[in-house]
Amino acid sequence: MTQERLEMAKAEAASMEDNRGRNTVLAVIGLGVLIVVLALLNSIDSSKLRDAIALFAIWGIATVSLNLINGITGILSLGHHGFMLIGGYTTALLLLDPATKANIENSARSQMTDFTLGLGLQESFASWGLGFIATDGTLWVRFLIAILLGGLLSALVGLIVGFPSLRLRGDYLAIVTFGFGEIIRLLASTRVFAPFTNGALGFQGVPSEFGKSVWWTCGLLALTVAAIAKLKYSSFGRALLGIREDEIAAEAMGVDLAYHKVFAFALSAFFAGIAGGLWVSWLGGARLDFFLFQLTFFFLVSISVGGVGSITGVLLGTALVVFVRQYGDPLEQVYSLDTWVRFAGVVLLLAGAGLMLYRSANRTGRRLPKAANLWVVGSVLALVFLGLNTNYGALGQWLTQFGRGAYLWAALPLLLVASRTLLNPQKRFYLDLVAVLSFLGLVVVVGSVAGNTWATNLTLVPLALLIFLPSETSAKADVYWFGALGLIALLLGSVAIDLGVLQTTFRGFGIRAIFLSVLLTVTMIFRPEGILGRAEFSWAWLFNERRDKPNDEERAQDAWLSNPELNQQAAQEAS
Amino acid sequence: MPLLEIDTISKSFGGLKATKDLSMHVNEGEIVSVIGPNGAGKTTLFNLITGVYTPDTGDIRFQDQSLVGRKPNEIVNLGVARTFQNLRLFMNLSVLDNVLISQHHNLKPNWLSAMLRLPAYRRAEREMRTQAIEKLAFFGPRLMSFRLHQPVYVLSYANRRRTEMARAMATGAKMLLLDEPSAGMNPKETAEITQIIRRMRDEGGYTILLVEHKMNLVGDISDRVVVLDYGEKIAEGNYRDVVSDPKVIEAYLGKKAEDDGQTGEVDV
Repeated sequence: MTQERLEMAKAEAASMEDNRGRNTVLAVIGLGVLIVVLALLNSIDSSKLRDAIALFAIWGIATVSLNLINGITGILSLGHHGFMLIGGYTTALLLLDPATKANIENSARSQMTDFTLGLGLQESFASWGLGFIATDGTLWVRFLIAILLGGLLSALVGLIVGFPSLRLRGDYLAIVTFGFGEIIRLLASTRVFAPFTNGALGFQGVPSEFGKSVWWTCGLLALTVAAIAKLKYSSFGRALLGIREDEIAAEAMGVDLAYHKVFAFALSAFFAGIAGGLWVSWLGGARLDFFLFQLTFFFLVSISVGGVGSITGVLLGTALVVFVRQYGDPLEQVYSLDTWVRFAGVVLLLAGAGLMLYRSANRTGRRLPKAANLWVVGSVLALVFLGLNTNYGALGQWLTQFGRGAYLWAALPLLLVASRTLLNPQKRFYLDLVAVLSFLGLVVVVGSVAGNTWATNLTLVPLALLIFLPSETSAKADVYWFGALGLIALLLGSVAIDLGVLQTTFRGFGIRAIFLSVLLTVTMIFRPEGILGRAEFSWAWLFNERRDKPNDEERAQDAWLSNPELNQQAAQEAS
Repeated sequence: MPLLEIDTISKSFGGLKATKDLSMHVNEGEIVSVIGPNGAGKTTLFNLITGVYTPDTGDIRFQDQSLVGRKPNEIVNLGVARTFQNLRLFMNLSVLDNVLISQHHNLKPNWLSAMLRLPAYRRAEREMRTQAIEKLAFFGPRLMSFRLHQPVYVLSYANRRRTEMARAMATGAKMLLLDEPSAGMNPKETAEITQIIRRMRDEGGYTILLVEHKMNLVGDISDRVVVLDYGEKIAEGNYRDVVSDPKVIEAYLGKKAEDDGQTGEVDV
């Protein structure tokens, strides 16, 4: 009996590794596609885009590593900016070149000593007879060594910070880690450490070719993600997840809490140190105000919005945050009030459409929403971006840049609806209606692309019809409210110039931060665990493999097991 | 030679004496039940053995090693694992992951070899999976196939209990402390769990100490029964003797009113 059970267990365990070969192939292909996409993006002649991608990767390293403590081990830590500072300053100090060194030496306010000025790797290597890595061409070797050392030093501090986590829990620990982060930043400016950090002056002229390079940053991000994902899906990662789920149970099942918590802190701090090195390089310098608590706040927003504990989700959240930070500047400029009203209308309509989508996905339990809903959202996006056309200054221009992509949005769902209507013999009335409306919408889109402003205003008619279209998914009062208010705002914004109202100007100061806060609030209300929740990307998604869903045979057996009427024999044995 | 020996332990919380000079032992291969009315100190006894609490006085020895002052995870390393009365599973993790976590403390390869998936780690991982499924197979097909990958929060209460028992078994412990293994189960499931506990001893070679309220289960499988009341041991022996012990009946049902020297009637 025991032997039989063991054989069965071996077979079952082996069957779990079935798809490994396929997944490896897919991973290689996926990585190849990613590299090609990155190369294409990199070839676009836009330093803004490259900066944004690099920043995404750098902050990605930081958020993924913070997620190891906050999401996977379940310890709220707020001191990540401190770890980044250590890695950043170490990198800056070790990359000091003779020119920068001379600058600092000549500065009257320099707080550095001869010893600390001599720590630069280039001169040290030259004096140790390692001239071959002291040349200008081998800066990348020194950079690698510098960020690695920065990471290790940071990990060491992480070990120390990890110890209070053994005695403290929850909010108290969060306060302590926050305190540690601030202590690190404040200590860096004291007389003891000023020789290493150059006090309030900091360092300038840190080589920025690494932090601004898409390949360097994304390569290191890939390494970080690989390391932490491999850890998460190993026995160690499971132990950390166990600590998150139930500390007492984990300990009662033999997990050494002290070791694992401190380990998580140290590993997370290591990657934070590397992110700090890249961050300093991205900024081209190291100053104490580059490492404010704000940094950790951005990471926390990324994690909370994307999905706590999910590496994929955290990267998604980081992408959102970095996008708002890097591309949100048109929002902070001066516009006339009617433009702002139009913008509010756009946001309301998008919120309504998003709510509709969310509801439909929730109700039907399907991953992909109905084609019709895709169409609605696509049309809303397309029309909204058209509605804010280039007549309305930089904001309009900015939006229409994205708006061009929105035509595709409108066309693709249209195709889906059409194909579904054709393929499905039992056509439903409203699908036909949607098809007709989408045709109308397309005419209007074409008209407005041709530059007819009347056509642009006509776009609002099908939009209104769509929002109020009684489909099964939009049948809730709040969606109507969003739609109605959004439309009113849009219409008001459109006619304001003719009526001569709302013509004063308003400067959107700090809108980016407000936008992030609203994003966070809305996510927390509708999905407290983040957009992706705990779900992690896996190839099984693509194939719709659900190991936790029974097939028909298994379902029948399950019913047989739990229903005594079907299972007379077992019932008799039991009684 | 007893596997677990409890030597006059006491534990009080403030003024409340949860355990008073309790001594008992469990021999290897035995199934011993601890029974007693609510608040008798049964769960406290489990918490004392597994290191959640430290006894004020006395000693607990497992295979001649003292458990007093050790952390819960060290006690699991020595070979004593437990289940919880009010279920403490890792709710968002799958059944399989739950049973794998409890084997983590036996893992030899270090974190770096786990991260790099070195052959030694892969072997250990495969072995852990086999062990996990083997333990889950004690419960028949109930936790097999698709259930292995379901998060625990979707399971029925009975299946959660089974998962917790499998998790405790997978620690590799010699001795299992089961805190009300049949709580929340219907009679049929209780009968099944009774069989399984017996098989855990016979086939798995575990020594079992259990707390239970269902007397038919206790009577069915116990080699010995220990009765606690107000933290003290009031009886010990085989089931038949113990349940007919007047002290035990008194603890459960109370004394007749006239024995207390009071009258049953109330003056109006």
